[in-house]
Amino acid sequence: MASAPLPLGPPPRCRILKMIVIGDSGVGKTCLTFRFCAGKFPNKTEATIGVDFREKTVEIDGEKIKIQLWDTAGQERFRKSMVQHYYRNVHAVVFVYDITNMATFQSLPAWIEECKQHSLGGEIPRILVGNKCDLKDATQVRTDLAQKFADTHSMPLFETSAKNPGDNDHVEAIFMTLAHKLKNHKPMMLSQPLLDENKVQLDPEPSPGVECYC
Amino acid sequence: GTLQDNSTLLQFKFFYILKLDYESKRKRKVAEIQHALNSSPVDVAALRRMAISEGGLLTDEIRSKVWPKLLNVNTDDLPPKPGPELRENNKDYQQVLLDVQRSLRRFPPRMPDAEREVLQEQLIDSILVVLKRNPQLHYYQGYHDIVVTFLLVVGERMATALVEKLSTHHLRDFMDPTMDNTKHILNYLMPIIESVNPELHDFMQRAEVGTIFALSWLITWFGHVLSDFRHVVRLYDFFLACHPLMPIYFAAVIVLYREHQVLESECDMASVHHLLSQIPQDLPYETLISRAGDLFVQFPPSELSKEAIQQENTAVSTFKDFELVSAQQRPDAVLRRRLREQPQRERRSNITAARTGTRRLMKLAVMGLTVALGAAAFAVANGALEWAAKFELQLFP
Repeated sequence: MASAPLPLGPPPRCRILKMIVIGDSGVGKTCLTFRFCAGKFPNKTEATIGVDFREKTVEIDGEKIKIQLWDTAGQERFRKSMVQHYYRNVHAVVFVYDITNMATFQSLPAWIEECKQHSLGGEIPRILVGNKCDLKDATQVRTDLAQKFADTHSMPLFETSAKNPGDNDHVEAIFMTLAHKLKNHKPMMLSQPLLDENKVQLDPEPSPGVECYC
Repeated sequence: GTLQDNSTLLQFKFFYILKLDYESKRKRKVAEIQHALNSSPVDVAALRRMAISEGGLLTDEIRSKVWPKLLNVNTDDLPPKPGPELRENNKDYQQVLLDVQRSLRRFPPRMPDAEREVLQEQLIDSILVVLKRNPQLHYYQGYHDIVVTFLLVVGERMATALVEKLSTHHLRDFMDPTMDNTKHILNYLMPIIESVNPELHDFMQRAEVGTIFALSWLITWFGHVLSDFRHVVRLYDFFLACHPLMPIYFAAVIVLYREHQVLESECDMASVHHLLSQIPQDLPYETLISRAGDLFVQFPPSELSKEAIQQENTAVSTFKDFELVSAQQRPDAVLRRRLREQPQRERRSNITAARTGTRRLMKLAVMGLTVALGAAAFAVANGALEWAAKFELQLFP
């Protein structure tokens, strides 16, 4: 593991990218995040209750970056009063729909609105993922329709399958694209010391994400 | 060699005696439960004590007789099995289907697919029947984890009846149109932790971890996160016999039990959330159950309600709404009722300290534990169980 030469002086830091994954129930949010973090399709997933968390450390241009994925419950009742806490300091949003279920695509405007209410609008990177491409025969949401929607909301579109082994690289590439994009957008990165030894230091405003809404 | 053989033999004898002791205690408990069931009227208070005390209700066969009594459900008058029309134009069907199809882990691992599929169909029906008969109740993801537990223990029709009662009482707050009241109940978690361990509390506050890690624990009574079904039903014995807020005390006890792990983790939301939401599968359940009972008596909801309210922005508005709802046993309603009694209680606060000692004795009586059965006895019993397993003594068939 070759690490990039770090300037002497400052403590070692590992930058953290926080992404939230949202979309209707059953579109495959848990499978996608599991696929990216564990490199395989989970054999039994259950309904997510509240918020689950997964992470993976990747290396981009010689720098170690921790990608945190917050996997949320799809059922509407969890959005309002429960999940909002986890929208804070988010660096990127991943919207997911199921290409074999039109209703999950039609819910996207509501999810986009939900994000806007948490101040996560067009100013932070957002991507759209159409999942379950292994079920091509059951497609209900055609690519051109999804592409049009993605263009309207200035988001890149990815169609993929968390299940199909051949798409492993693809799932990885989706999250890495986002990570690269964020890495070059330094003001948006939340960084913190690798080892938090400064328990004596009282932090009046604990870890305020340095965010940029320019 | 001989010396070691001797010591092994001695150990064996020692644990064999413990096993005999355990079996005689167990037999006595089965007899006591039978006696309470056969009394006229049924001795529900005794059944409650049995459900709380060590080992709970012991077997699913006993549970299927005692759970209806704890919920005061008449088993002669069960809802009829629904027809196919139940699923037609049903607003909840799609979501329930989606969640039940994915609930494979809730069924015994060696169960044949065909058998499991029949149970999954029954699970869908049970849920939909309760929702249809009670339009004020709203389905939530996780409700299926509760219903499946009842289905596996008492069968479809009885499960429907028990869950219907539970949904209009213990689970009522979780089934509101929104989750505001669920959030309110979660707000009790940090004050309980603070009362016992301020350092741990402050660490968690600094990490801004929130309480969502405990959401699935609360609304599924731990059915969603524990993989061993025996642990799940043991907790259900406990919760069915207790105050509807007991699950939040049990959640606090788990966090407190993991104090060192939490304090050693990095003080940020992700690390602490991740650590706490991965629940260890080898928790010392009997000890934790006893501790949760202790905490409930030492720090009853009335003494925590003020702090819980302070954590919440919407308390005032929802409080008004709540005045209109008078459903008994809704956990949140109990909290708010106690809150109104607060001023009177505060006047009596000077005698609180004196009462704590009495409370502990009361609690022991309430929980059906004897003073002699302290932590040491638990430790010995647990050790015996682990050891006995190697000799296939099968204490828990």
